[in-house]
This record gives sequence, C-alpha cells and structure tokens, in this order.
Amino acid sequence: MGLHLNIGQYSTAGRKSINQDFIDYSMPARALLQEKGAVLAIADGIGSSQVSQIASETAVRSFILDYFATNPAWSVQHAGQQVLQACHRWLYQQNRQSSYGQDPDKGYCCAFSAVIFRQKQAHLFHVGDCRIYLYRQSRLSQLTRDQRVWQANQLLLSQALGAQSSILPDYQQLDVAVDDLFLLASDGFFEFIEQKKLAEVLAQANQDVDLTEVAQRLAEIALTNGSDDNISVQLAFVTQLPTETTLPGGSLEELPLPPLLHEGSQFDGLTVIRVLSQSNRSHLYLVELPAGQQAVLKAPSLELAADDSYLESLLREEWIANRVHSPYVLRAASIEHHRTALYSLFEYIPGETLHQWRLRQPQPDLNQVIDIVEQAGKALQALHRAEILHQDIRPDNVMLDQQGQVRVIDFGAARLAGLQADHEVAGLIPGTALFTAPEYFTGQAGSTQSDLYSLAALCYYLLTGQSPYGPDIARCKNLPAQQKLSYRPLIGQNADWPEWLDLTLQKALQVDPLKRYQHLSEFLYDLRHPNPGLWRELTLQVAYPVRIWQTICYLQTLLILWLLLVVN
Amino acid sequence: MAYLIPAEFVTKMVDAGESKIFMSTRDTLIRAFMAGAILALAAVFAVTVSVQTGSPLAGAMLFPVGFIMLYLMGFDLLTGVFVLTPLAWLDKRPGVTISGILRNWGLVFCGNFAGALTVAFMMAFVFTMGFDAPAGPVGEKLAGVGEARTVGYAAHGVSGWLTIFLRGMLCNWMVSMGVVGAMISTNVSGKVIAMWMPIMLFFYMVFEHSVVNMFLFPFALMMGGDFSVMDYLLWNEIPTALGNLVGGLAFTGLTLYSTHYKTAPKRDLLNTSSYSTNKKAA
Repeated sequence: MGLHLNIGQYSTAGRKSINQDFIDYSMPARALLQEKGAVLAIADGIGSSQVSQIASETAVRSFILDYFATNPAWSVQHAGQQVLQACHRWLYQQNRQSSYGQDPDKGYCCAFSAVIFRQKQAHLFHVGDCRIYLYRQSRLSQLTRDQRVWQANQLLLSQALGAQSSILPDYQQLDVAVDDLFLLASDGFFEFIEQKKLAEVLAQANQDVDLTEVAQRLAEIALTNGSDDNISVQLAFVTQLPTETTLPGGSLEELPLPPLLHEGSQFDGLTVIRVLSQSNRSHLYLVELPAGQQAVLKAPSLELAADDSYLESLLREEWIANRVHSPYVLRAASIEHHRTALYSLFEYIPGETLHQWRLRQPQPDLNQVIDIVEQAGKALQALHRAEILHQDIRPDNVMLDQQGQVRVIDFGAARLAGLQADHEVAGLIPGTALFTAPEYFTGQAGSTQSDLYSLAALCYYLLTGQSPYGPDIARCKNLPAQQKLSYRPLIGQNADWPEWLDLTLQKALQVDPLKRYQHLSEFLYDLRHPNPGLWRELTLQVAYPVRIWQTICYLQTLLILWLLLVVN
Repeated sequence: MAYLIPAEFVTKMVDAGESKIFMSTRDTLIRAFMAGAILALAAVFAVTVSVQTGSPLAGAMLFPVGFIMLYLMGFDLLTGVFVLTPLAWLDKRPGVTISGILRNWGLVFCGNFAGALTVAFMMAFVFTMGFDAPAGPVGEKLAGVGEARTVGYAAHGVSGWLTIFLRGMLCNWMVSMGVVGAMISTNVSGKVIAMWMPIMLFFYMVFEHSVVNMFLFPFALMMGGDFSVMDYLLWNEIPTALGNLVGGLAFTGLTLYSTHYKTAPKRDLLNTSSYSTNKKAA
C-alpha cells in the first residue's frame, strides 16, 4: 500500500486580463512516488510587472522538474531548498541581465509555495504571500505566514523569487494523516473568502469528490466576493498512506556507503560488469540496471567516506547531470532506481578521456582539436545557461566517445549560483593546477571567464601537450607573481598552425579575467576565424604599456647624454 | 574505515608526487628544512636513548617518533620525494617533466641539508656548552659514528662503496614504506602504526639514510671527527642518496605503482573500450 492523493486545481485570470498565477502538480508512477513523493506548487507573479507570469510558470515548472531530478539520497528538505534556490537565482539573473535589473518590481518576480508529500510526511516550502492551509478533523489552520511588510502605507512582499540577491525560504515538515486536506491558494483567493465559508466547502471534500470542481467553486465564490486579482486554488486530499516507510530516513547521515564491489557483485538490483577505477576520490563501476541498460555507478572512496561535504557534492553531481540537457554533458542514468546506499548513477560512455586520447595522438590534427574544443565549449555554454560553473575542465574530465562526440563529465567541483560550494567552505581551490584559472589561486571567486580559461588551456594542451605558462603557473600564488608569467606562443611549435590562433588562445588565457573574452561564444567563433582586432589589442604597447614607456625614457636619456657629451 | 584499499592509497601517492612537483619554491624549501631538522633531532634523541639505556633496540624503537612527527606535519624528506615524484611522470600527468622532478629533488636536498645542519650546530653547541667543555658520552658516541661510516667504507674501495650503496637501497625500501604508511589510513593512530614498523626496522639495522646522515656527519665533523668533508660526500652522502633513490623507487614506488595502479586488465579492453583502466576518477 502506498501513498495516494486525490488532487484538484483551478486557476483563473479573474477580472484581470492576464493570469499571472501558475499552478501545477506532479504525482508520478509508483517507483518514483515511493522515492521522491508527489509535488504541488503554486506561484503568484507580482502585479506591478508585465512579465511576472513568465516567472511564475518558470518557477513552478522548474521546481517540479528539478526536484524529481535530484538524487533520492538527499532529504526532501535539502533537495527542495536547493532546487528553490536554483530557481530563484535563475530568475534573479534574468532580471539583472534585462532592463528590469534596476527595478525588480517590474521584472521576473513571484511568490511561491509548494508541498511535497513523501512517505508519511508533508514538506512545505514558502516564499512570499501565497498560503497553504490544512483542513483536518473539521478544523482549518493556516500553515504558512505571509511574508509581507508595511512600507510607505503599503503592504509589500518582504521576499519573492527573483527579487533580491538572496532569499530565505520558510520550511516546515509535518506528519500527514489519512483524510487530511491541503489547500494552496494565491492572495486573489484567500483575501476574498471568509474562513468559515472556506471550511464549509472543504468539509464536503472526500476521496470520491472531484476536487477540480471544488476548486472551481471556491474560485467562483472569491470572484463573486469582489476579487480583482488572479485566483488560484489547489487541493490535495490524502486518501491513503504507505503502511511502512521504505527508506531508512532518506537523509545523508543515515544512508550507508555501498560496500566494495567486484566484478559480478549484485547490489541494489544492479550487477557489476567491471570495476572501472578505484581512486582516493571515488570508485567507478560499470553496472547493469535491472532494465538491462548499462550505467556507471559512482561511489565514494573509503578515504572520503567521512567527508560530508564530499558526499554532498557526489549526490549533487547527479542532479546537475539531470538538470542540464545538452548532448555534450554527461547525463544521469536512473533517478527512480531504489537505493539503499549513497551513490550516483550516470550514463556509460564507451570511449576515452582526452588525456588518453592525447597520449595516443602526439601529433593531433588541428581541425579535430578545434572540433573537440567547440563541443566542450557547447557543454560549458549549457552549464552556464543553467547558472552552473564547472570549475574543473581538464583532459581527464572530458570524454570522447567512439563516434567522436565529446561529453563533459565530473561535476564534483561544480558551483551552482546561490549555493555555496563545498570547497569554498573549506577554502580549497577547485580543479587541477595546470588547468585552473589563475584567479582561484589568489582567492577570487570563479566566473564564466574561469571556465573559459580552463577550456582554452585544454585546447593549448591538446595541441602542444603543454601548459600555456608552463608548470610555473601552479607555483604562483599571488597576483604580482602571476603577472610576471609570460604566455608561450604556439608559433614555432608547428608551422601548420595559423598565427591568429595564437592570438585567440592568448586572449582567452589572460591572467586577468577581465582581459579575456567576455563571452564563450566569442572565443569559439575566433577559434575558426581570424580576428584582426586581436592583433592591435595584444601587441606590445597594449600588453606592456609600462615597459614601452620605460624603454622610450631610457632611450631619451641616452640621447640627451650623447648630445651633452659628444656634440658639445 | 581506517584502512584504505591499495588502489586508493597508490592513487594518493601519484597525486602527492604531482602536487610536490607543482609546489612553490618557498613551500618546498620550508617543508624540506623542517623535515631535515626534525629528523636530525630524532636521531639525537634515539642515540641518547641507546647510550643511556645501553640498548640500541630501545633507540630504534623510539626513533620513528621523529619521522611520524614530520609526516603528520606535512613536511618532506628527500627519501620521500625520490619515490613519489617519478610516479607522476610515469603516469604522464600534464606538466610533469624530468626537469621538474630534478628541481624538486634539488630543492628538497638543500632544504633537508640546511635543516639538518642547523640542528647539528645547535646540538653541538648544547653538548659542549658553546664548544667550551667535553661533549659527554652521547656527544662522543655521535662524533665517533662519522669516522667508521666514511673512512671505514673507503678502506674497502669499490666493495665499500657498493656496500654503502646497498645499505642506502635497503634503507629507503623501508623508509618509503613509511611514507606510504602515512597514506594507507584515514586516522592518526592508523598512520602512526603503519609508519612505525618500517622506520624502526631501518634504524635498528643501521641502514644508511641520506637525511639522517646530513646531520650525523656534519655533527661529527663539528665534534672533531677524523675525516674530511670530501670523505663524507664521496664515501657516504652521494652513494647513500643514490642508494636511497634506487631502493625506494624500485622496491616501493614502482612495485606498488605497477601492481595496484596499472593493474593489468582482466579482459580485452579493445572490444568493450574503457572509461579508463585506472586513471580517471573524479
């Protein structure tokens, strides 16, 4: 016996011309329902904006989609909060990039509330002024608190998705009982209906009633009572609860590590085909899923088994792989798979890493290298669009499959906007010495330009087998030392490589991130097209302005001395 | 889980080797200086214990505290980097070159030597009240070591030189097992036990350790030992260091690397292709 809900919802623009509310729910099939539960979400776009309906639809859809993409080993609270923060940051970033950056009241902002039912619990997430009510044993109680403040005689939202740089969503968890009725509604509804009347209508709900009709009736009451806003109502009636919980709590602390696996081991319904690697970072196994397809199981290493932040990033990797849809980014294998231990499952890519490829190709073909870099660049663009920095692009983290298609793998060092990365907590530098952008060594935060640097360093490595600044770059831990580094030109290493390619790489590999290309697309374009502007930009005078003037001054001094001594 | 499987700690060895090659000059020198100094102090301690108890075994049993202290502090001995850095080169890690390895060895040699010399001078001063009084039994014992293990070898010519070379090999076979010992466990007690065993063995067997000798012989010279600096270099330090390099690398580094890191694949990888047999992790 599993969880079962009777769900109904209704949303209308009411007296307004457009409906800026958005509601949706997802009640997946059995296996996923047991692992992840069911989700109801409502968003109310702010009235002062002309585009907030886009914000509410995006928030609801991506919250539901993303939540189901997270690793089941995450607790519901953690997964919900991570996903909500990611939605928020995405909206916030859209506002900043648009003309609404200065005036978020006109931008992509919305109030948001969601309930996730999993096992015998309901988990509530709440930002802004939608409301969640519980009707239990003939009593109606409001579970959320409106996040509003009085300002200049107006009642304004104190928090909304997309409005400010950071949000603190309210979260609560409560035990659910059979016959509980949950109601989610926007302010256009609850401000125009008396609690008594609401309770009366809710009393009629039961497992056999069509709740969509009830929701519609409630909306009509609010409209009749003079509501001048969009009206949205969602109802979820708990008809059945699971008899026993099937997961050992579902939190990071309580799930055990997988045992050491060998060829032929059976584990969680998976069969190990081969041990791919066992290192001090992770253990990778090629496994066969119950459905027959192959996947890669990534389990924590024994060394890091007690490192919570590492375990966290291992589970987050699966979410990232699920979240980013690009043919050039590694995908997760199966989120539904029931797990009794901490691990992540990814698709299996038959092929080799670029490190291995480079060892086999001491004289690589220029076109092939550029093709690889372009594909890896597209992977980075897809990650950046989802507000994710990879932070560890290097030859070992890019796979080339048998058809020549590139996949970027390993999101262990990735940073999601709005979420503090673990290495930042520990003060560690992400990535690997030769491919990590110099700014990380001086303690600066990474940006898309840092990923661009790593990609260009990868391109340089594939061509030459070396690093653009030699091994010294890894030994420079401060800015003055870094500025003394000089780029080692490609020219002279291979006569077939065009001169302008050097300028492109040099521009992308500048020590100062502000001097690099500002967009990845410009770099990718310049990889195939000579850019005459770069010649002027990177010539001596611009690259070394101080040295040029110093030289002129020395020459003048010599001239004056000569005039004084010889001509006199 | 205190014990790591070999595949894990051998990856750690390769990673450690790579990171030492990319370490800044300043850090390399500081870490090498401190390692040389602490090991020298431990040598004084161990000799003091054996003289006072009359039992060389007691000294050997306690000598590993110095090695353990310096490895727990993250310092580097020449004997350790001899074994670790070439593994990163063998694994073809980007940016790892022979010149990078030699640079690292050179810096660690200098750092270790400076650290050991500093302690040698300080201890010589302490034992003799600023070179104003006899050194006492411990000082004399230490001063006597130098002569037998330089001129003593020289007396046997090539056989003597080869003997000291072999003693160097045997020494770093054991000492580098100690370096690996620091990596095979995730907790301090596990690391300590794993480091203790091989270090005790090498010290009791009087194998030749290049960094311990950087203390013993200069100290003996300061105490008036009857041999020259050239005797020390030609008939001790150089063959010892070479023996350390060969022994550590051949018996510990390469064996572990070949069997646990470059594990021979069980099936033909060409048909199934691979994620990588052992390299890629994350």
